[in-house]
Amino acid sequence: MTKRIFRSISLAALGAMLAVVAIIIGVLYNFYIGEQKEQQWQQTELAAQGVAQNGMGYFEELELEQCRITWVAADGTVLYDNRVSAESLSNHNEREEITEALISGFGESVRNSDTLMEQTRYTAQRLPDGSVLRLAVSQNGILALLAQVFWPILVVVVAGAVLSLMLASRLSKKIVEPLNELDLNHPLSNEGYDEVAPLLHRIESQQREIRKQSGMLHQRRREFETITNNMDEGLVLLNEKNKILTMNASASRMLESDGDYTGKDILALDRSEAMLDLLLTARRGKGAERITEKNGRQYRIEANPVFSQGFFSGVALLIMDVTEREQAERLRREFTANVSHELKTPLHTISGCAELLSNGMVKPGDEKGFSNQIYTEAQRMIHLVDDIIGLSRLDEGAEDMQREEVDLYALAQEVAGRFAPTAEEAKVSLSVQGGQATVVGIRRMLDTLISNLCSNAIKYNRPGGRVDITVEAAQREARLTVADNGIGIPIEHQSRVFERFYRVDKSRSKAVGGTGLGLSIVKHAALVHDARIEMESQPEKGTTITVIFPL
Amino acid sequence: MRSRFDDQLDVLNTAMITMGSLCEQAIATAAKALAEGNAHLAKEVADLSEQIDQKEREIEGMCLKLLLQQQPVAKDLCTISSALKMITDMERIGDQADDIAEIVSMDHLRPMDETEDIREMARAAIRMVTQSVDAFVKKDLEIAHGVIADDDFVDQCFDRVKDTLIQRFSMPEYDGEITLDLLMIAKYFERIGDHATNIAEWVIFSITGNREGN
Repeated sequence: MTKRIFRSISLAALGAMLAVVAIIIGVLYNFYIGEQKEQQWQQTELAAQGVAQNGMGYFEELELEQCRITWVAADGTVLYDNRVSAESLSNHNEREEITEALISGFGESVRNSDTLMEQTRYTAQRLPDGSVLRLAVSQNGILALLAQVFWPILVVVVAGAVLSLMLASRLSKKIVEPLNELDLNHPLSNEGYDEVAPLLHRIESQQREIRKQSGMLHQRRREFETITNNMDEGLVLLNEKNKILTMNASASRMLESDGDYTGKDILALDRSEAMLDLLLTARRGKGAERITEKNGRQYRIEANPVFSQGFFSGVALLIMDVTEREQAERLRREFTANVSHELKTPLHTISGCAELLSNGMVKPGDEKGFSNQIYTEAQRMIHLVDDIIGLSRLDEGAEDMQREEVDLYALAQEVAGRFAPTAEEAKVSLSVQGGQATVVGIRRMLDTLISNLCSNAIKYNRPGGRVDITVEAAQREARLTVADNGIGIPIEHQSRVFERFYRVDKSRSKAVGGTGLGLSIVKHAALVHDARIEMESQPEKGTTITVIFPL
Repeated sequence: MRSRFDDQLDVLNTAMITMGSLCEQAIATAAKALAEGNAHLAKEVADLSEQIDQKEREIEGMCLKLLLQQQPVAKDLCTISSALKMITDMERIGDQADDIAEIVSMDHLRPMDETEDIREMARAAIRMVTQSVDAFVKKDLEIAHGVIADDDFVDQCFDRVKDTLIQRFSMPEYDGEITLDLLMIAKYFERIGDHATNIAEWVIFSITGNREGN
C-alpha cells in the first residue's frame, strides 16, 4: 500500500512538472516565433518600399546579414539575390510564397530544414510594378531551442524529481501509518480515518461472532468431555488414518495410556491382534467386537466405522471392562453344571431303587429299606430345589423386595423355635441370647440367613453339642453370632465354604442331607444387606460365624 | 511437500508397528504351541511368518521410495535407515518363530521333555520383543536400554538349558533327537533375543543418531 501511494504521488509530481516545463517551452516558443514573424514583415514592407522607390539602387546601400533578400520579376525570373548570383537561380514562379504574393499581394511560407534544427520563413510582397520582393530569415527550430535550455531544465527536473520522491515517500508513510497502527483486537477503540470505520465495525461484529461461536464450541467440547469422562466404558474416536481424535478417561485407563496420545496412532497404545483386526474390519465398513485380555482383565472392544457423507471418516471404539461379567458368566455356567450334577445324583439312586422294586428283584422284606431310600433321596432333591429356588430369588435382585425394620433378636427367637424339634432330634441344645437389635432389611431374606446358619450349626454338630445364637446392638452395627461346638471346618476349606455347592466332607454332607448351598445363601443375603461375615473355626472345636450389619 | 512427506513417514510408522505386532504374535503363538504341543497353532505361526515377510517387502519398498524421492536428511534419514535395518531383524524373528513351530509340528516332543529354563527363555524372549517394539512405538530410550540389558539374561538361560540337555544325552530315558530339537529351540529363542536387542539398538540410533553396541 505504501508502495502504491508512493508510486502514484511521485508519478503525479513528475508528470505535473514535465507538463509545466513542456507548456512553458511551447508558449515561449510561440511567442518568440510570433515576434520574429512580425519583425520580418516590417522588414519586408520597408524593403518593398525601398525597392519600389529606388529599384536596384536600394540593394547597393543595403547591408543585411541575417536575412536573404530576393527580388523576383513578375514572370518568376530572379532579378536580384544578396546571397547568390541571380543568374544561377532558377525560375521562382513555382514557389509557394511567390505565387501567393502574385495573386494576393502578400505571401508567406515556412520550410523546415532536414534536421528540424532550423527553419526558414519566407515572406513575399508584390511591388506596385508587379515584381515580388522576398525576405528569407532562418530561425532556430524547436529542437535547437530545447538544446539550448536542456541543461537548466534537466537540473530543475532532477531537483524537482528528487524532492518530489522524498516528499512522496514521507507522505505515503504518513498516510499508511494510522492503518498500520490499527488495534484489530479492539477495532472500535481506534481513531483515525473515518473511511475505515465501516471496516472496523465489520471486524468488531465478526470478532464478536467468532468469540460467541468459539465459546459455544468450547462449551460443547467440555460437555462432551464431562459426559465421556464420567462413562465407565472407554470411548475412543479415531480419524480415517487411525489417529486418536479424542479419548475419555476410562479408555486412557484401560489402554494404559501414559500421557497424551491425542493425534497419535491408536496402534501406539494397543497393537494387539484384536485391535488390528477390529480396525481392519471397521475400515471395510463393518462393525465388529472382540474380547481381549490385558493384565488379567478382560475387555470387550467394539469398533464401529463412522461415515460422513458416504465416506469412511473414522472409527469409534467402545471399550468395556467385562471381567466381572465374564466371571459371573463363568460362575453361572459352573453353577448350572453343578446343579445338573447335584440333581442327577439323587435321581440315579431313586431310579435305581425304583427299577429294582418294579422288576421284583428285591427280596421280600427289603422293600421298606428301598422305599425309605427313595424317600430320603426325594427329600434331598426337594431341599436342593428349594435352596436353588431360594438362591435364584436372591439372584434376581433384592431391589424389588420390601425393606422393613426387623428385630434380629425376635427373628432369631422365631427361627430357634422352628428349629427346636430338629435340635432336639440331633441332641443339640439351642439358645438365643442378647437383646433387641433392629435393622432395616428384608424379613424373608434375614429369616433364610439365620435359618441356614442355625441349620448348619445343628447339622455339623455332635450329640450333646450346643448352638448359641447371640444378637447384640453396638454403636454402629448389629452383630448376629451363631456359635457351635461342633466338628468345625478344616483351615484349608475355610476360604471356600461360601462357594456354591462346596462341601467339606462330601460323604458326611450326604448323610446329613446338605446341599452345599447353605452358606452361599447366607453370603448372598448378607451382601444384599451390606453386612459382612466373619468366620472363626477350629476343627473338632466348633465354628463361630458372625454377621455384622451396619446400622 | 513437507506435509506429504510427514504423511508418508506416518504410514511407515504405522506399518512398522503392525509388523512389530505380527512378530509379537508369531513368537507368542510359537511359545504357546511349544508349551501345549499344539501342531495346529504351529500352522498359525507359519501363516504369521508369511505375513511378516510380506510386510517386510512392503516396508522396504516404502523406505526405498522415500529415500529416492524425498532425499531425506538428518533425523528423517536416521528414522528411515533404522526402519530398513529393523525390519530385517523383525523378519528374522518371524522366521525363527516359524522354525520353532516347525519343530513342534513334527509332533514328537513330549511335555516332560521341556524344561522350565526353556519356558523361562520363551517368556524372556517374548518380553524382549514386546519391549523392543514398545521402545520403537514410544520412542523411549529407557525401554530400549532395558531390552539390551535383558539379552544377558536370555544368554544365561541358554547356557543353563545347554547344560541340562548335555546331561540328558547320557540318560537312556531321553531320546537324543528330541534333545537336539530342544537345543535348537533354545538356540532360536536366544537368537530372537539377539534380534530384539538389535531392534532396540536401532531404536536408540533413530532417536539419538548414535550407533551403540558393536
